[in-house]
Amino acid sequence: MKHLSQLWTLAIKDLRIEYRSRHAFRNTLFFGLLILIIFQVAFEPGSQATREASPGILWVALLFPGMIRLNQSFQMETEESSLYGIVLSPVDRGIFFLGKFLGNWLFLLLTGLITTAAFLIFFNFPVSQRLLLLAIVVVMGLAGFAAVGTVMAAMVAASPSREVLLSILVFPIIFPVILAAVQVSQEVLVREELTAFGPWLRFLAVFDVVYLATGFLVFEYVVGE
Amino acid sequence: MKSLDNARRCLRISSALMAPLALGFVIALWAAFIHAPREREMGEVQRIFYFHVGAAWNFYVCFFIVFVAGILYLWKRKRIWDQIAASAAEIGLMLTTVTLLTGILWARPIWNTWWPWGDPRVTSVLVLWLIYAAYLIFRSSMPDGEKKFKYCAVFGIIGFLDIPVVHMSIRIWRSIHPVVIEGGKMNLEGPMIAALFIAVGAFTILVAVLLCLRLAQRLQSAAAAEMMLEDLSDYEEEDASAGLREAAAGRVSE
Repeated sequence: MKHLSQLWTLAIKDLRIEYRSRHAFRNTLFFGLLILIIFQVAFEPGSQATREASPGILWVALLFPGMIRLNQSFQMETEESSLYGIVLSPVDRGIFFLGKFLGNWLFLLLTGLITTAAFLIFFNFPVSQRLLLLAIVVVMGLAGFAAVGTVMAAMVAASPSREVLLSILVFPIIFPVILAAVQVSQEVLVREELTAFGPWLRFLAVFDVVYLATGFLVFEYVVGE
Repeated sequence: MKSLDNARRCLRISSALMAPLALGFVIALWAAFIHAPREREMGEVQRIFYFHVGAAWNFYVCFFIVFVAGILYLWKRKRIWDQIAASAAEIGLMLTTVTLLTGILWARPIWNTWWPWGDPRVTSVLVLWLIYAAYLIFRSSMPDGEKKFKYCAVFGIIGFLDIPVVHMSIRIWRSIHPVVIEGGKMNLEGPMIAALFIAVGAFTILVAVLLCLRLAQRLQSAAAAEMMLEDLSDYEEEDASAGLREAAAGRVSE
């Protein structure tokens, strides 16, 4: 119980800071919107080929702007040295990781929801029950992204070139998530039948569990001891 | 100094392995080009396979070393484990590059494409290449220190855990890669199997030699840095009274 309330306090703290400034929120959404529009124009707008490729565009629009948030999640802790406060408080390092992860994940879900809605409008997808399946994929895909991203963001926070470094570290590791998320979104959005939906979803679940567990275990070594 | 002793030991091992290394590659070339028969369908191009697989098996060995050394560093906090991990990552990345390049040379005539995106193994090796290239970029972005060694160990562990995950994700895709080992039985003739194992062995000796050499370099440069630091502190003790204090005072008044 104690752990749960600590976890929630940590996550809410991050979201409250974000709510008061709304910088990352605004920037993430705007960047996502730009990606959707640029890709739509870069390919032939409204054509069947663009529609086929659209799941990939959706994930680029979800993940690339998401880096803004991940970068910030530890930058604000190191800049004002508030990291010491958390490290000195009697919170288990694993719980600290999960709290940070939860804050990032909830943020990404909120912006992801809006970006996905914009995506559906720009690419003219009809409202159907399939969108519920898409929502499951987005929730699970962003969980894996946030889990890996939270660990890496903590490691690069002190580096002067953290923005670039974070992308360099995160994207190779989450390659399987991108692959799975794009494949399964494609199936949900543009295929008639769902054949590989089950295996891909199971795979995403495995990835999320593996990297949440890894983050939980290694975070002790990442933030001071 | 202990790290200098270790460096000397590494250099001794690597020079002892030089003769076996040369011999190993000569035999591997002989086995691949003369001993092994010409493949019926692919022709001479198939002979690159021995070196392709020789490099491929050994980069897994290297990345496993990075993983184990990372765990040992986090556990024991001895710098040597970080130095071993860094050296193994470099060699592993080099072998991954060799695997990809030999694969490209083979794929063009056989699959009629330089880069078969549809093939899962090619894609997974490419992802491994990206992960360990990122590892080395990450290393070079930080100044030496406990923090760097710790973070690199963590990234090495996460990167290695990603290997089976990447394989799994890509297996859900389709495969056109030739499967050589199926259920413990090899789809190869006797001399071909011999050539394969000799190539793998020769590459393993290469890994050992390179690992010792890079480790020796790292140990020596760490020892050199240590000596410089000692000299500097001696100097400070002697001259702290006069020149340095004056200089410091001057900086303050400015």
